Amino acid sequence: MDQTIQDFEAAIAELETIVHKLEEGDLALEASLQLYERGVHLSRFCHARLEEAERRVEILNERGELKAAPPGLGDPPDDEPRQ
Amino acid sequence: MTSLPGLPFDDDPVPLADPIRRPEPSPAPPRETRSSTGAGAGAKSGRHTNPWREADDAVLPPIEVTPEPRRIYSVSELTGAIRSLLEGTFGEVWVEGELSNCRVWNTGHLYLTLKDSGTQLKGVMFRTALRALRFEPKDGLRVVARGRIGVYGPKGEYQIVCEHMEPEGLGALQLAFDQLKARLSAEGLFDPRRKRPLPALPRKIGIVTSIDGAAVRDIIKVLRRRYPNVHLVIRSTRVQGEGSALEIARAIGAIGKVEGVDVVIVGRGGGSIEDLWAFNEEVVARAIAECPVPTIAAVGHESDVTIADFVADVRAATPSAAAEIVVTRKDEFTGRIDSLSGRLESSITHRTRTCGSRLHQLEARPGYAGFHGHLALRARHASELTHTLGRVGISGVDRRRRALERLLSDLDTHDLRRRLAGVRTGLVAVDGRMGAAVTRRRFTSAARLGDAAARLDSLSPLAVLGRGYAVCWNADRTAIVRDASTVGPGDAVQVTLSKGSLTCEVRDRTYGPDDSGF
Repeated sequence: MDQTIQDFEAAIAELETIVHKLEEGDLALEASLQLYERGVHLSRFCHARLEEAERRVEILNERGELKAAPPGLGDPPDDEPRQ
Repeated sequence: MTSLPGLPFDDDPVPLADPIRRPEPSPAPPRETRSSTGAGAGAKSGRHTNPWREADDAVLPPIEVTPEPRRIYSVSELTGAIRSLLEGTFGEVWVEGELSNCRVWNTGHLYLTLKDSGTQLKGVMFRTALRALRFEPKDGLRVVARGRIGVYGPKGEYQIVCEHMEPEGLGALQLAFDQLKARLSAEGLFDPRRKRPLPALPRKIGIVTSIDGAAVRDIIKVLRRRYPNVHLVIRSTRVQGEGSALEIARAIGAIGKVEGVDVVIVGRGGGSIEDLWAFNEEVVARAIAECPVPTIAAVGHESDVTIADFVADVRAATPSAAAEIVVTRKDEFTGRIDSLSGRLESSITHRTRTCGSRLHQLEARPGYAGFHGHLALRARHASELTHTLGRVGISGVDRRRRALERLLSDLDTHDLRRRLAGVRTGLVAVDGRMGAAVTRRRFTSAARLGDAAARLDSLSPLAVLGRGYAVCWNADRTAIVRDASTVGPGDAVQVTLSKGSLTCEVRDRTYGPDDSGF
């Protein structure tokens, strides 16, 4: 992961700042291009982070161990009976 | 001595020397308006109500009728008789009054006084019964208490041993809810400044609920639909019934410590107020407050509000809503990033386009256009000059000048001088014709010079030398040796090469078949 990006929230915030600066439009062309490059980088990071989490359901038992959830729990039928 | 026989006290002894036994004010005078208990306080001096009279009739022989054999009781006997009378008569009573002098001792028992306008009834509630209460008995509360009347022999006192108590007016649960809410609120547990923001994008979502309940399935269903790659950690717990509050609290504590869990949903599906009660317990409220990561409370339906809802960082109306709060944020971010990316692209496109059109505008200006024309013209001129220069060649000019000088010196030294000398001799001897002859000769010489110069131009002798030819001079370098017969063996000759020159001695002379040197 890019060391210059702290986390998802920071990346979004920086991306917003960059877009605002670019939209103000009073930057030199070279500075604009540098910001643009950084912006593309940040937006790729954010997209990657959105898709990064694993699809998994685990159960934490009383002994503090993590176990895979019983099959079926993760994919309940659409009309499962109510409690 | 330390217990009241026949009363369901469990293992709770009645403390003997409890300081609650304050000095008793003199018994209130009997009230006409009040029931048996009020009358009881003044029984010795007052009129008898029916239960007492009946009891008296049952236990004591009628004094008026048989005065002779005096029946003398010991204190214990009398007290025992009173006890069996009271306890037999008031097996279980409901009594209504206002609480005062409430005090819980370190034994866990509550001592209290129930009073109305002018009467007091002492009472006790043992800790087992007290713990079952959902509200906290406090001075000034009007309550209805259920209990048995007991006699405490060592002090000669009777009291009500309360087994249950309900606040008057509000339900007990409502009162308990209000009391805990007020207390935690005073502690600052509901302070908006305590509320933590949910993570923008949760990596692992912790869930505390019953694995068998509807809530967990609702949550998973919503998350799966809107956030397919979600990672969940579920800590199953009972969510209703005796002891469930403690279980829930422990589960919250445990899941908050799982590596990577950055938000916790605590909740259950709908039910009665009793079913949801665990989420109104202090232990759950405290566990939520102490959870190291932000919490979402999701208990019952929209209309159900629990203490847990107040303490949690976010309240969701239902478990499904909790799941939506978490994943809506993902949707939101996807949209936001896409929109930002789009704006990024269009702003940079706009920027470069602006620069491009400015450039075009500048180019289109007349001054710039004229300059451009001038530049093109000059460039062509320069290239023509360069071409010419290349063709002429500075080295070529030098070369020609040097060759010309040499030729002139040749002419000077032998050809022209000698001829002029001859002409001069002739002048002495002949007449005016000679002037013309001289002139003609001079013209001839000039023509020859011009011819030589022209040949010099085309022959470029140094170039010939460069190709490997050499020039052979006579010894004093005054004449070029063109014919071997002009020198003889032993003569010295000078040979000019392309680089440098040689001084040589002729050893032999040979001719080729065509008189050439080859």
